[in-house]
Amino acid sequence: MVVLRAGLCPGLTEEMIQLLRANNIRTVVDFVSSDLEDVAQNCSVSYKVLVAVRRVLLAQFSAFPTNGADLYEELKSSTAILPTGSPSLDQLLDAGLYTGEVTELAGAPGSGKTQVCLSIAANVSLGLRQHVVFLDSTGGFTASRLYQMLQARVEDREEQMEALQRVQVVRVFDIYEMLRALHEVRDCLSQQVESSAGLLKAVLIDSVSAVLSPLLGGRQSEGLAIMMQLARELKTLAKEFSVAVLVTNQVTRDNSTSALKSALGRSWSFVPSTRVLLQGRAAPWEEGTAHTACLAKSPRQVGSGYGKGRCGCGAVGCRVSLPRGTHCNGRVADVCY
Amino acid sequence: MRLIQQHALHKIGISKEEALEALQVVRQECAGDAAKTAGGSDSTRKCTALELLEEEHAQGFIITFCSALDNILGGGVQLTKITEICGAPGVGKTQLCMQLAVDVQIPECFGGVAGEAVFIDTEGSFMVDRAADIATACVQHCQLIAEAHQEEDHLKALETFSLESILSHIYYFRCRDYIELLAQVYLLPDFLSEHSKVRLVVIDGIAFPFRHDFEDLSLRTRLLNGLAQQLIIIANDHKSAVVLTNQMTTRFGQNQSMLVPALGESWGHAATVRLIFHWDNTQSLRASEMCSLHLSPKMQKVLK
Repeated sequence: MVVLRAGLCPGLTEEMIQLLRANNIRTVVDFVSSDLEDVAQNCSVSYKVLVAVRRVLLAQFSAFPTNGADLYEELKSSTAILPTGSPSLDQLLDAGLYTGEVTELAGAPGSGKTQVCLSIAANVSLGLRQHVVFLDSTGGFTASRLYQMLQARVEDREEQMEALQRVQVVRVFDIYEMLRALHEVRDCLSQQVESSAGLLKAVLIDSVSAVLSPLLGGRQSEGLAIMMQLARELKTLAKEFSVAVLVTNQVTRDNSTSALKSALGRSWSFVPSTRVLLQGRAAPWEEGTAHTACLAKSPRQVGSGYGKGRCGCGAVGCRVSLPRGTHCNGRVADVCY
Repeated sequence: MRLIQQHALHKIGISKEEALEALQVVRQECAGDAAKTAGGSDSTRKCTALELLEEEHAQGFIITFCSALDNILGGGVQLTKITEICGAPGVGKTQLCMQLAVDVQIPECFGGVAGEAVFIDTEGSFMVDRAADIATACVQHCQLIAEAHQEEDHLKALETFSLESILSHIYYFRCRDYIELLAQVYLLPDFLSEHSKVRLVVIDGIAFPFRHDFEDLSLRTRLLNGLAQQLIIIANDHKSAVVLTNQMTTRFGQNQSMLVPALGESWGHAATVRLIFHWDNTQSLRASEMCSLHLSPKMQKVLK
């Protein structure tokens, strides 16, 4: 909502502003959407001048359409794909985490979400030598586990130490602290953009539901508003600075089908472009340590389901191999890390 | 303050970089003021993984005096993390909590963290005479070690490590319903800033106040999630371990039923480390306790 002021464009003088304001035209939107003949009559301003000002304002403030080819070129040059370190998970995600997008990892307690995040941090920091910001809201980040993963990948102690230094951990236990931390990351990035090529490539948030679920539900609706503000922050961060944003989410049990689905409700389901559901062992004392990952929503995979990406069991080309009732697209991979 | 529009910048006549710098200065000053008033709790929350690793190596553990348990916990109950102990009735959760409340006070020369303990009891299962027995046994154990090694600092530490001092450093709170429990937890940071030596907060029976008399389940979820976040803040800011005990409930599957920890799926995410105790097939009472680490950031094996 840009307010009309003198100097916004040539021809818009202080006098004209006062006359327009007397007729309730205060912002650019008011000006552009009003009928100029009426305005010319009421404000006793020349019609030609108004038309000229309108043309300049539209040129300055409206969005420009681009064609698909330019968009594709821009996407090719600015998007990077970060491998996660687990080949089967990469295959599920269509080669890895895409920068410029928000990816979500949901799972029951103990299914391995924090482990996958640590593994991605280790991979990006060691393999790609890029910086990673890890926002920890559950207290689950253990540096010794990250160190173990690095030790498993490379032998040289120097490299391990350097990789550890490239991972920055911020502990945020409240939604407002999380928003502030994201603002700081954004400021840091916009200051760096001129100097270096932007070394930060991944922002991992574990977990988003821990800070949002105390606010949702009940009769107050501010929780939903804050959730959408967080969503907007994440998407702007991903899009403007070409970073890959990964968030982890809890699961809740669906009342009717008693299947597991991601928490935070339907409003949040539109925020990430890719959603992966992790499943671990059924009971803690059972043998076997294989975890499975299931793709619940994806903009790229074949057979992503018609409509909202829910159980696409009837869609053509979609292989269903999970029990009835789970929300999935039938693409399942065994993940080992 | 957050939105810097282009025209505002032009109006003030500074560039975007200068505006960002100004914001940073203001933010640091605000953080500095907040630090003076609130005790600087959030100024140290940002660090690299390398610094965190060094911190973790320097931190001690609270040992449980059961070597199998210490093994799967990776040395003992970790500080700055929330540990949840689940199990059927009678398996020994309150006993373990009392043991930990005594073990946290073991002096550093014997391998402990030399801290104090806060015990929040919701079920009324804390028995003082049992705690006195555990404390006496612990003191005797340390005396044996001191006699075996005969070092100066061992003997000096033993002078202050006695039954009376142990019992006087366990701060006991009794909460009868969920409102008292929530109030106690939210007031705990003030208490902890006065008693800065506390290294363990035990909540014995976190499920009990929330399981009966609660009609609005979504309110329960919200309260529990808020409680979890508050406990994590306490664990982090005061460098103490938080130990919770939880009950078990039955979940009916398609053709079987299982015992799972109570309070639902969303509560499962609150704890960093979850210990589930259950009996195995033999009927012998304490001899075979199987304990498996359900959620752990470090270890993923099942130990029998």
